[in-house]
Amino acid sequence: MAIDNEMTKTLEEKLEKWHKLEEEARRIRESEADWSFIERQPPKIKAALKYYIKTGDLYVASRIAGLKVEEFNLLRIKAKIPNVA
Amino acid sequence: MEFAIADTCFLIDWSLWRRRDTLFKIFKTVFVPETVLNEIVSENTIVWIADAIAEGKLSLFTETLDIVNEARRIVEKTRVTPGIRGVDLPEAICLVIGLKRKYIVLTENRGVLMSVDLLDELKEVVVWRALEVIKEAYRRRLFSEENPLSIFREYELDTHHRFPISDLERVIYELKRKA
Amino acid sequence: MNLKEKLEKWRKLEEEARKMRESEADWEFIRKQRPRVRAALEYYIVTGDIRTSAKIASMNIEEFRILLRKAKIPVVV
Repeated sequence: MAIDNEMTKTLEEKLEKWHKLEEEARRIRESEADWSFIERQPPKIKAALKYYIKTGDLYVASRIAGLKVEEFNLLRIKAKIPNVA
Repeated sequence: MEFAIADTCFLIDWSLWRRRDTLFKIFKTVFVPETVLNEIVSENTIVWIADAIAEGKLSLFTETLDIVNEARRIVEKTRVTPGIRGVDLPEAICLVIGLKRKYIVLTENRGVLMSVDLLDELKEVVVWRALEVIKEAYRRRLFSEENPLSIFREYELDTHHRFPISDLERVIYELKRKA
Repeated sequence: MNLKEKLEKWRKLEEEARKMRESEADWEFIRKQRPRVRAALEYYIVTGDIRTSAKIASMNIEEFRILLRKAKIPVVV
């Protein structure tokens, strides 16, 4: 029982750590992005860039945009959205 | 019920309904095949999908080669079976995933409904239209309205979809009987 | 229900749907469309086959669905 509580607590702490890292990364992407560029894009591209800013998920963002991963990555760079790893 | 897989016909109508997020109170996650996502072009639908994926309510399903090959076989079968309206690849992919993963298939495609009814190999697949999704939501008391018909009419108004009269009457009757 | 009965059931549903599409359609709007689009809309009214109709119109399925709404043609499923 005591060991279970300890393992659960560690998992909770780990999840909290990742959540904070994700949140920090999202804030960085959001603050550095070229929003003027993003808002000028056609609907699928705009939705994909915004999705990427929120999640940092390059693959799914590329699917939303209907682009290959590398194509979307080049777009990400044009939109000045950093890859925060 | 935990998981569903949605095809294009379902999403492009459902996304216009003012209560579209009701879907996420019924399913833990609704999967969207990449093939289906590729067909979405309108801002309303793509933004809703992208936001829902970000929140974990929708999830992208990447089709593997075996699923695509199996789907192609289903497409062919529906084309050679007399009386069935043929299905196309995106719908067939949903059917295959529904069969293999036991996800509920969300569709508004008549060919899909007929295939499940008439082809033995697909008879285990559970297929829901907006009709069945709204029925389930009403059954779970997710709406405050007392008259279920008003919810279905609201859906028809927002999406310009029409429920077949006999199916709608049957569903209303079932809901009122259980109330 | 045997196969024959099931096929009859589907035939009746298809017929009901076709009547609804035909009666609610905005025929004035349809007649004003360029030939391919008009043909696609008329094909859809008769058959309810959205994918083939979209291909006739050289449109993506969602674009065609939007056109159906403009033409007041319901999807009856």
